[in-house]
Amino acid sequence: MKPVLALVSSAAAAGMLLAGCGSAQTTANTPGNSTNANPAGSIDLSHASGTVVWAAPPITHTGLRKALIDAFEKSHPNIHVELQDQNSDTDTNRASLTTTIGGGSATPDVYLADVIWPAQFANAQLALPLDDKLPKDFWDRFSDGLVEGATYQGHIYAAPFFADTAFLFYRKDLLEKANLPVPTSWEQVEQEAKTLQQKGLVKYGFVWQGASYEGLTCDFTEFLADAGGRVLDDSGKPVLDSDAAKKALSFLRDLVQSGVSPKSEVTFKENDTMDAFNQGDAAFLRNWTYAWNNSQTPGQSKVVGKVGVVALPTFGGSEGYSCVGGWDLMVNPHTKNLAAALAFVDWMTGPDAQSILAKRFGEIPTNKQVAQDPSLAQLSPVFSVIPKVKFVPRPAQTPNYPQVSQAIYTNVNQALTGSVSVDDALKKAQQQVQSAVSGSGL
Amino acid sequence: MPYAAGAEGQPDVSGRIRVRRHRTHQDGDRRAGYLMLLPSAVVVAGVTVFPILYSVWMSFHDVHLTVNGYDMRFTGLANYGTLVHSSAFWHSAWFTTYYAVVTVFAELILGMLIALAIYRVQRLKNLSLVVMLIPWSLITVVSAQMWSYIYNGVYGVLNAILQALHLIQAPVTWPGTSTGAVLSMMVADIWKTTPFVVIILLGGLQMIPAEYHEAAVMDGAGPWTVFWKVTFPLLRSSIALAAVFRILQAFGVFDLPFVLTGGGPGNATTSLAVLGEQALFQNLHFGVGAAVAVSTVLMVLTLSLIFLSAFRALVEEGA
Repeated sequence: MKPVLALVSSAAAAGMLLAGCGSAQTTANTPGNSTNANPAGSIDLSHASGTVVWAAPPITHTGLRKALIDAFEKSHPNIHVELQDQNSDTDTNRASLTTTIGGGSATPDVYLADVIWPAQFANAQLALPLDDKLPKDFWDRFSDGLVEGATYQGHIYAAPFFADTAFLFYRKDLLEKANLPVPTSWEQVEQEAKTLQQKGLVKYGFVWQGASYEGLTCDFTEFLADAGGRVLDDSGKPVLDSDAAKKALSFLRDLVQSGVSPKSEVTFKENDTMDAFNQGDAAFLRNWTYAWNNSQTPGQSKVVGKVGVVALPTFGGSEGYSCVGGWDLMVNPHTKNLAAALAFVDWMTGPDAQSILAKRFGEIPTNKQVAQDPSLAQLSPVFSVIPKVKFVPRPAQTPNYPQVSQAIYTNVNQALTGSVSVDDALKKAQQQVQSAVSGSGL
Repeated sequence: MPYAAGAEGQPDVSGRIRVRRHRTHQDGDRRAGYLMLLPSAVVVAGVTVFPILYSVWMSFHDVHLTVNGYDMRFTGLANYGTLVHSSAFWHSAWFTTYYAVVTVFAELILGMLIALAIYRVQRLKNLSLVVMLIPWSLITVVSAQMWSYIYNGVYGVLNAILQALHLIQAPVTWPGTSTGAVLSMMVADIWKTTPFVVIILLGGLQMIPAEYHEAAVMDGAGPWTVFWKVTFPLLRSSIALAAVFRILQAFGVFDLPFVLTGGGPGNATTSLAVLGEQALFQNLHFGVGAAVAVSTVLMVLTLSLIFLSAFRALVEEGA
C-alpha cells in the first residue's frame, strides 16, 4: 500500500547515461523466443529499418503523438512510423488490442498500454517480455518503482512511457472573489464548493469521474486510501467491507446527493469533467496531469489563467493519495520488425522524446534524467506539486484485475446514483472482488 | 425438378432414351450448379457455421490465450455452472428478456398503427417512407451517440425542452438512474426500429386484395371488425416475420447500451451481449464468454418459439 514511487527523486544517479542499445552485441532475430540464458541486449538496433505501426489513443488530446513521430523519423531516417489511432476509452482500446494481437496479427508492432495491463497481458501472452531483448542497463533510465509496475512473474513486459497521477485543480479567481483559502482537506473542498455554489459564483462545486468505468476505480481507490482502507490486504484477500470503505463511499455519495457534485456525476468520464471545468462551470476538478495544459489552452478553455493546482487532499488533512496512472510501451509478440520496434521503444523512453513529452506537453516523464531537470517546474506548476504527492496503486498485480475493477466501479456507481445503500454496494463489491481474485465468477 | 418428374412418366422407349440422355445432361448441369455454389457455401459456412460451432466447443473448455493461439482444456459444463451461480448473468438475462419483450411489443403496436396510417393516406406515402427510413438507416453507434447528447444532464436538449415547457425544474440526467437508463435505451431502440416493422407490415398490407375489405364492408362489418377479422389474420405472417426479426435483434442488443449507458449505472443496462463482451474481450475469459453467447442463443430460440406458438393460438382464436 505504501509505494511512494519517487517519480521525481531528488538525489539519485544524476549521471545516468542513456543506455546505448545501438551498440549491443549479438544478434537473434526470432521474436518470441524467450531463452532465459540470453545475454542482455541481444538485438542489434543500429541497422533497424522499415515500418513500425504504433497503436496509441489520443491520450492527451493534443499533438503529442505526431510531434514524437516526426522527431523520431528525423533521427531514424530508415524507419517509418505509422500511427494506428485507438479509442480514448481505455477499455475499448484494450478490447481492440486483445482481439487483434490475440488473433495473431503482426501489427501494431508497438502499442501504448495502460499501467494496469501488464499482469493481464503477460498472462495472455499479448506482450513480448522485453527483459531479454534489451540490455540490462536499459532499465536504469527509469524513475524508481516504474519498472516494478511493468513486471509480472519476474519478467518485464513494458517500457514506462509517461507517468500520470491525479491532482486537485481549482479556480483561483473564484476563491479570491469569495475570500476563501485553498482547501487543505476533503471536508474543506466540500464546504468551499458549497459556499461558492450558494453565492451563485459557479454551477457545480466539485467534479470528478463517477461513471461506471475504470476511471471510477481510480477515484474510489484514492478516497479509500485517504480513509485508511484498501481493496486487497497483504494476503490478497478483499477488504472492501471495512469502515474506511464505508467512509469513503459515503463521502462520495453525499457529494452527489447534496448537489456539490452534479447529478450527472454518475455518467462523468474524464472528458465530461474537463469540459465542465473548461466551460467555467466547476470550482474544483479531480483530474490527471493533462488537465493543466488542457485548461490553459485558449480556444478550448474559458478558464485560462484562472486555475491553480495542488496535490489531492485527504480526510482531515492535506496529504492525500493519488492513483498511479500512466502509459507504457508494449511490443507485440508477433511483430515482424522487432529491431525497429525496439529502436522506437528505446528512443521514446530516451531523453529527446521524454523532453518533448514533458516540456511541450506537460506530461510526467518516466526517464529519470529528464524528470530531474529543474527547469520543468517553471513550465507547469504540476511538476512542482509532484514531490508532495503520495501514490496509491490499483490492485493490478492479478491477471483478473479487469474483473476486480468492474466489481468496484459498478457497485460504487450504483451507490452514487442513490439506488443502493453504501453497505449493500460494498457487500456486493466485496463478494464480486472475492470471486474475481479467485479466478471464478463472471 | 418438375421436368424430371414429368420425364419419368414417359412410356415410349425411344422417348425414354432421349429423356434419359436429357436427364443425364440435366443432372450434369445440376452437379455443375452445386459445384459452382460450393465456393460461396464454403465462405458462408466459414463465417457463420464454423464460428457458431467453435463457440459451442469453446464453451465447454477452459480457454487460455497464448502467443501460439488458444490453449484449451475440456471442463465439461463448468462454464455453464459459473453462469448459473453468477448473479450478474441472471441480472443480464432478466434485463435482456424484458428489454426485448417490451421494445418488440411497443414496436409492433406502433409499427402497425403507422403502417395502417400510411396505407390509408396514400398521398404522402413516399415522403413518409423516406422520413421513416432515416432512423432505421442510421448506424446504431451514431444514433446512440446522438441520443446520449439528447439525454445529457448538462447540455442535453431534452432537458432544455422540458424546462422551457416547465415540466421539470432542474435538469435531469436521464441515463443516471437505473429506471431512467433502461427507459432511455428503450425509447432510442423504439425510435430506431419501429420503421423496420412499418415497412414489413406495409408490404403485408399491400398484398391483401382490396376486394376482401370491400366484401367485408358490404356484409356490414365496421372498421374494427374488418381489422380483426380480415386485415389482422392476413397480416399474420408479416407480423410474425417482423416480430421474430426484432426479437433476435433485441436479444443481441450491444451497440446501444455500449455507447449510451456503458451498461450502467451499476450494471442496470448490461445486456447479455455486453456481459459477453466483458467476459471475452475485457477479462479474456473466453470459455465463460462463449457460454454466455451460447446461452443467449438458447434463450432467444426459446423466446421466439414461445412467441410464435402464442401468436398462432391468438390468430386461430381470432379467425
